[in-house]
Amino acid sequence: MKQTPELDRVQEKMRPGVLTLKGFLGNDDRKLADIIAADQQALLRLRINADQIAERLQDLADRGADLMEQEVQVDNRYLIRVRDDRGKIPSPWEDGLFEKGDVDLVDQQTGKALKWNRLTLRLIAKHRFFGGYGSEYRIDPDVAYEILALKPFVDRSPEAI
Amino acid sequence: MTPIITAVLVLSALSGILTLLLLVAEFFFANYGECTIDVNKGDKTYKVEGGASLLTSLASQKLFLPSGCGGRGSCGTCKCRVLDGGGPLLPTETPYLNDEEQKSDVRLACQVKVRSDIKIEVPEELLSIKEFETVIESITDFTHDIKGLRFKLPEGETIKFKAGQFANLFSKPYEDVKEETSRAYSISSSPSDNKAIELVVRYVPNGMVTTYVFKHLKQGDKARLIGPFGEFFLRDTSREIVCIAGGSGLAPIRSIVLDMIDRGISNRKATFFFGAVSQRDLYYVEEFKAIEKEHPWFRFVPALSKDDSDHPYEKGIITDVVARNYGDMKDLEAYLCGSPGMIDACCKVLSSKGMPADRIYYDKFS
Repeated sequence: MKQTPELDRVQEKMRPGVLTLKGFLGNDDRKLADIIAADQQALLRLRINADQIAERLQDLADRGADLMEQEVQVDNRYLIRVRDDRGKIPSPWEDGLFEKGDVDLVDQQTGKALKWNRLTLRLIAKHRFFGGYGSEYRIDPDVAYEILALKPFVDRSPEAI
Repeated sequence: MTPIITAVLVLSALSGILTLLLLVAEFFFANYGECTIDVNKGDKTYKVEGGASLLTSLASQKLFLPSGCGGRGSCGTCKCRVLDGGGPLLPTETPYLNDEEQKSDVRLACQVKVRSDIKIEVPEELLSIKEFETVIESITDFTHDIKGLRFKLPEGETIKFKAGQFANLFSKPYEDVKEETSRAYSISSSPSDNKAIELVVRYVPNGMVTTYVFKHLKQGDKARLIGPFGEFFLRDTSREIVCIAGGSGLAPIRSIVLDMIDRGISNRKATFFFGAVSQRDLYYVEEFKAIEKEHPWFRFVPALSKDDSDHPYEKGIITDVVARNYGDMKDLEAYLCGSPGMIDACCKVLSSKGMPADRIYYDKFS
């Protein structure tokens, strides 16, 4: 995957203090194209795809919604707390505005945690971007595979990943 | 050798001439001179230097369109109708405009350049929006993640707003944030208290402006505010009202209740349901209890969704508490302020109790 001028512009918007206080890249100094490509490789290895992860996270978020920020146990395994905040965050790809509010998930089996919001899911589903290393919103494909109990995807062509 | 040197010299000369031509062309064609912006068919006209964006040009004349991203073309909120002189619709605008808006000449003011005389149309109420250079009079810790701020307006200035509206607060550059950034917060004070503005701010993890408020802003600091904005305000009817809020959503409801007192509106029963998780999330309880004691038309119902301690408040999620307090609600009207999830859940309950959708007013924090 090539780092196009468009990806340069997107990566600039992902830096801390541009669209969000801490940005989207954590301490990752790789080019955006390389970050996306490395996670694509992980998905291929795990035989899962980005849509599976985004859909599963959306499902979990839905089951924690409408509870006025109370923590709830889901599937006898996850503790989920959905927080709503005022306002919207723009996508660094400039393809929409997404309501603020984080979902915090703790997997009681492994003790591992994930954090995401509506924009995170959009970036995963549409742009295959899972966050840079060190970003608190990173959904690492290996961690997601381990704790979200995902089944291998049937269509194994690279396009489907 | 000589032909090579000649070729280099000719090329250099050509480049120089082309550069000169470009500079001359820019002077004549990119210098747009003075342009006129006509607002609402002559209601206001402004003379501006051409070349800047419509959003910036209007702001320089103190006409402020709502903008969540400060003109970076990433929020899509600075919409207005451009009737003439706006040039073609740009690809940077189309993601934020639906078909209907595109047909109606709606544009993003931050993307439209003022290159000639231009005619625009904006909602009437935007003409009363003002910019204030304020001083922080006080900062109060209401809860572990909510602060109340009181901004003193400059000597001799006042603000006119409807109870329930909001203002945009600007943060100054700090840490990694290199540019001034603004966010919307509901006004919690009464319109009669017009020499100051009170806002309630809830900390948003990683929020650019709330982090500034919580970590950098101090009493005595200067702060820029623009407002008022918004369509959330008490309708002029005689119906009984029910207000429901959570977190910082209390702010506009407080403004509405204080306004009702100031205007002597005592013929409408009003009940305010305030939902919180536990006692540590409650604030302004003493004030609302005092209002309840003094004004028989007002009732305050705090409700805690997850607090097993011995407390005098209602227990349960706010929607359940509202549901068990009412039978038929078809003759009431509702004012809701809180998270989108809370608003959606409340709307379902109110509708199931017979309240018509057009009598449910809300500020969905978005």
